[in-house]
This record gives sequence, structure tokens and C-alpha cells, in this order.
Amino acid sequence: MTSPDLFHELRAARPTAPHSLRTRVREIAAEEQPRAGWTWPRLPRRTALAAVPAAAALALAGAGILGFARSDVPTDAARQLTLEEKTAPEAAPAPSTELGAGSAQDSTIGPTTGRAQRVSATLTVEVADADAVSRAAQEALDLTRSLGGHVVSASVATGEEGTASLTVRVPVARVQDAITGLSALGRIVSQQVTIDDLQEQLDALERRQASLQAQIARISARLDTEELDAETRAALETRRRTLQAELRQIRTGIAQTNAEARMSTIQLTVVTPGAYGVAAPPPSRLDRTIDEALNVLAWEGVIALGLLIVAAPFAIVALAAWLGRRLYRRREEERLLAA
Amino acid sequence: MTLDAPRPAQAAKPTFAAVAEELLDDVFGYLLYLTKNRAVAEDLTGETFEAALRKWRRFDPERGTPRAWLLAIARTTALDWFRADARRKRREERAEASYLRPEPADPFGEGLSPELEAGLLSLSAGEREVVALRVVLDLDGEQVARVLGISPTAVSTRLHRALAKLEERMRDDIA
Repeated sequence: MTSPDLFHELRAARPTAPHSLRTRVREIAAEEQPRAGWTWPRLPRRTALAAVPAAAALALAGAGILGFARSDVPTDAARQLTLEEKTAPEAAPAPSTELGAGSAQDSTIGPTTGRAQRVSATLTVEVADADAVSRAAQEALDLTRSLGGHVVSASVATGEEGTASLTVRVPVARVQDAITGLSALGRIVSQQVTIDDLQEQLDALERRQASLQAQIARISARLDTEELDAETRAALETRRRTLQAELRQIRTGIAQTNAEARMSTIQLTVVTPGAYGVAAPPPSRLDRTIDEALNVLAWEGVIALGLLIVAAPFAIVALAAWLGRRLYRRREEERLLAA
Repeated sequence: MTLDAPRPAQAAKPTFAAVAEELLDDVFGYLLYLTKNRAVAEDLTGETFEAALRKWRRFDPERGTPRAWLLAIARTTALDWFRADARRKRREERAEASYLRPEPADPFGEGLSPELEAGLLSLSAGEREVVALRVVLDLDGEQVARVLGISPTAVSTRLHRALAKLEERMRDDIA
């Protein structure tokens, strides 16, 4: 017998349910459908398939919205920050007060009257061309002298792209005038004013000076009035010399501190647009949005990775258990149906 | 309306009574081939429809045909019976109280030649079920694979072996 014959015979003799069974099944079907017990909610397959792209789209949309919301930085501030980064002072002492970039008129904070303070300022101004650099440098020197200051160093380079670097010291009392005058030499690219308080240091030196002077006076009085043996006299004289030496150092320190507090240091850089380079255009709102969105996405990725790391061992154990159970059931079925 | 027709995008769910009426013979025939015992097949058919009624609320026509769904329930019911039967046989062997159960006459119903019936009896339950599903009930490979929980390729392989074995037995009987 061939397969087609076999198929025909098998299909022709297809079993039919006996009448008694049909009646029984009809009775079952006529019964009221029992209320289904609680079962785990089953996610429809289409929903499950759409869940992954939906989650990805949600993450992207969230990142986009957050990025857009966080990109609202004023353009001018962003531009000034960019420029300041390019001209930030190198190895500046830790300032107690700093004034960032801005126009000369913004720099209203100055040294406090009656307190010893170290004032230093860094200025970068942009002028039209190399000739203007020379003129600006000369005007800066003249201004310094007119304010009672002096030049510490000066370097002027002319050519296609001129630059000038000047370090000047002017009396602290005139530092505001100096900054205002120097800022007027060209367009301000960056400006930073640093004020360090020296008063505490000065007070400590002066207290030590007074103490030393008192000790020296007492020793001198003993040496002048008391009858001392040779050994004691020698010891006191040695002690007085030591104190006098320290007193000289303290006086020098006080003088230096006062000198620092009297004169401010201003570093001025004059540049042409070519020498300074083309200032980076401020990032557009779109650029900032993309940057912020990428930042948010990166955080989302970090959180997802963290969750994955935590959940992975449990998922692996569950998967292994499920696979093991499935394998066992399959083997058992094969064994049962092999008979 | 045939319950095994291709499913439209939003398939309307038929009533359980209609499904039971149309697919009763299929379920019974499958269980009869699987168990080769009419009485057992009738009991299991009843159990299958009782279980199906309990699960009917969860049946989703978009996920499969009622036929494949019912046959899968029938298979689970039959496997439970095979397990219970195996336990019973082991108990009987331990108690040395096994007895010869009479083989029913015409186990697969009337209309089959004695050679074909003998050939079917010589097949294993696993081989008979694939013959029943694929040949007698004429399910396609995909549906059979879904009912048996194996791949369509495995269904083809299993059917090919079963038919080869069946034909060989029949040739031996005729010779």
C-alpha cells in the first residue's frame, strides 16, 4: 500500500464521536461558563513586540524633552564663558574673591578701604590691528604712570597678528581707575579681578613684632639694672640677639605685606582678532539640546545597565530553571508516548 | 463558518458550543489514536472539553485556531492520563497484581483494514498522534507543530518515520 492509499483509507475511516459522548459534550458546553480564577496577566504578543521599541522611543523622547528644557542657557553668558576659558590666568593664587568676565562697568567690587588686601587683575582686550596693539600698549604704560604705578614687564609683538603682554603695578587705591582705563583700550575679551585679604596676616605680624619688642625691652632692662653673673648675662645677651634678628625679619615681612597691599598687579593682554583666533561661536539651542539629550541618554543607559546587572543573575537562574523544567517535561512526554 | 479558516485581522470569537459541536470528532479521533482505547478516549474527550470550558475566557482567536487550541488541551489531558496510567502500572507490577487488560475490538473504529489497524497498533503513541493530526485530521505542519510543541521540521521527520514504519508493518502482515 502506498502513502496516498494509506492517507485515503485513514481519512475515510476517520473516527466519529459516539452519540453518548456528543450528548455529554453538549451538556458541558451548555453549562454556565465558570468564572475564571486569577491568572497572571498575559501581555498580548503584539504588545510585547511593540514594548521594546516603545520603551526606546520613550527613553529618546524623555531625553529630548529634558535636553530641550535644560538647554535654556543665555547665549551671551555661554559666549563669555567660552572666551574666559581661553584666557584664564595661569597659576593664579587661590583667590578669596574673584570677579569674572564682564565689562569694566561690571567691576564695581574693589578693595575694602582700611584693610590690607592683595589685588590682582587679568584683562584681555581686543583691538582692530597690530598698529592698534602698539598704541594700546603705549596708552597702558602712560595710564599706569599717570596713576602712580610702574611697569613690571612689557612685551609687544607687532606683525600681521600683533599681541602685547604687560604686567603693571598701580596703587590699590587707583586700581579701579586703572581697570576702567585699560578696559577702554579695546573690546574686552575677558576680565578677572582677584582680591586676597592680607589683613589677618599683617595683624599677626604686628602682634609678633610687639611681643618681640616687649621681650627685648625686658631683657635690656635686666641687663642694664640687675647685677648678673657672667653666665646669665651671656645667656640673656644671646637671647636678645636672637629676638632682635627675628624682629628684623618680622619688620621686613610687615613692610613686604604693606607693599603688596599698597600696589595691585594688573596683567594686560592686548590682541588682534587674528592673534586671538576666531572666537568659537556660541552653541546653538539645537546643539545644546542635543548635548543635554545625549547626557540624559547616557544616564538612562547607566541606570538600565545597573538594573541589568542586578537583575541578570535572577533572570539567568529563572531561565535555567525554565529550560530545565521544559527539557524534563519534553523527555517525560517522549518516554510516555514511546509506548 | 469553518473554525479552521484563515484568521482575519480581528477574528470574531465563536461560541464555545459551536466550537465543541464542530471539533468534537477531531478531539475524539486524536485521543482515540493516541490512547488506542475507545473508552479512555471518550473519558479524555469529556475532560478535554471541561478543561476547555474553564479556559475559554482566555482563548484568543488571534493567537491560534480553536482547533489547535483544543487539540493542545486534549494532548495535555492525555499526557496526564499517560502519567497516571504509568504510575498505576508500576503499582501493579510492585504488587504483582498485574492483569491482562483485554484489547478492545476495532480500537480505531470501523472502516480500517486489519493490516492497517495492526500497523497502527504497532506504532508508539507519539507516532500515532502525528499520523492522527497530520493525516486523519489533516492539520498543516505549522498547526501540528504548535500542538506538539516541536518544530515543523520535526513534525515532518516524525510523520515520515511513522508512515515508513506503518507501511513496513503492513507489508510484513500482507506477506
